[in-house]
Amino acid sequence: MDSTKLMKLREESGIKILEIKTDLSSYAASDLRKVLEDLLAEKVERVVVNLSEVSHINSTAVGALVGVAKRLRQNGGDLKICALADNLTRTFNLIGASSVVEIYESENSALAAF
Amino acid sequence: MAKSDIKFKIPSTVFYIEPIRAFIGNLAQSLGFSRKRVADIQLVLDEICSNAIHHGSVDATVGVKLQIRIDTHSLEILVRDTGSPQAGEKSWLTQERLSEIEENRSPSSERGHGIFIAKSLADTHEMHPNSVGGTDVRVVFGL
Repeated sequence: MDSTKLMKLREESGIKILEIKTDLSSYAASDLRKVLEDLLAEKVERVVVNLSEVSHINSTAVGALVGVAKRLRQNGGDLKICALADNLTRTFNLIGASSVVEIYESENSALAAF
Repeated sequence: MAKSDIKFKIPSTVFYIEPIRAFIGNLAQSLGFSRKRVADIQLVLDEICSNAIHHGSVDATVGVKLQIRIDTHSLEILVRDTGSPQAGEKSWLTQERLSEIEENRSPSSERGHGIFIAKSLADTHEMHPNSVGGTDVRVVFGL
């Protein structure tokens, strides 16, 4: 199965919005990394990742988000995350990633933060 | 409930983690774990299986063994890999390697959080080299 089909990209005001519609265990996490690295290769600067339909995320997926956020910042851009379920917030907090990546309650607030 | 064991073996590819995660989630829910704890158990299972596949398997064919033990007080998961010998090591799990992973882990690290997560969320977390040259990871969640 190709989980990239469950990762939908759209654009609003020059910001790429990536909607994830699958849980992010290791298999989908490697696909997430590929999708994000494609965005880096396309020189995209501003990305919002909407996790409202995700009920599980593992450390590989969190690591991919953190890594791409760091690389985007080096080029003046950023990656922001929005709409996390409580258990996802706990995972980000446990790892400490919530101090590295900006997390917003809603997609609109993440977009407005750029 | 009397003590029961469920055993299975999955190929060493991450594709199989998702169905196993769904299974353990349903099982933990049936046993009466809270929603929060079910999510913790699923995350820990994902992390230790992922480590067993990425660091403890030479290739997909060797497989990873899982044993789930349930009783009235707890849910125990044992994940056994066969090791991925590198640079003369019998197993990726050496005390030196574990210390290195722990020291290098930071909030901005892209990798190396799995053991920390398992240690943090499970009531008991143990890692031991096993007789086949790999690693046994045992985690227990109390009901």
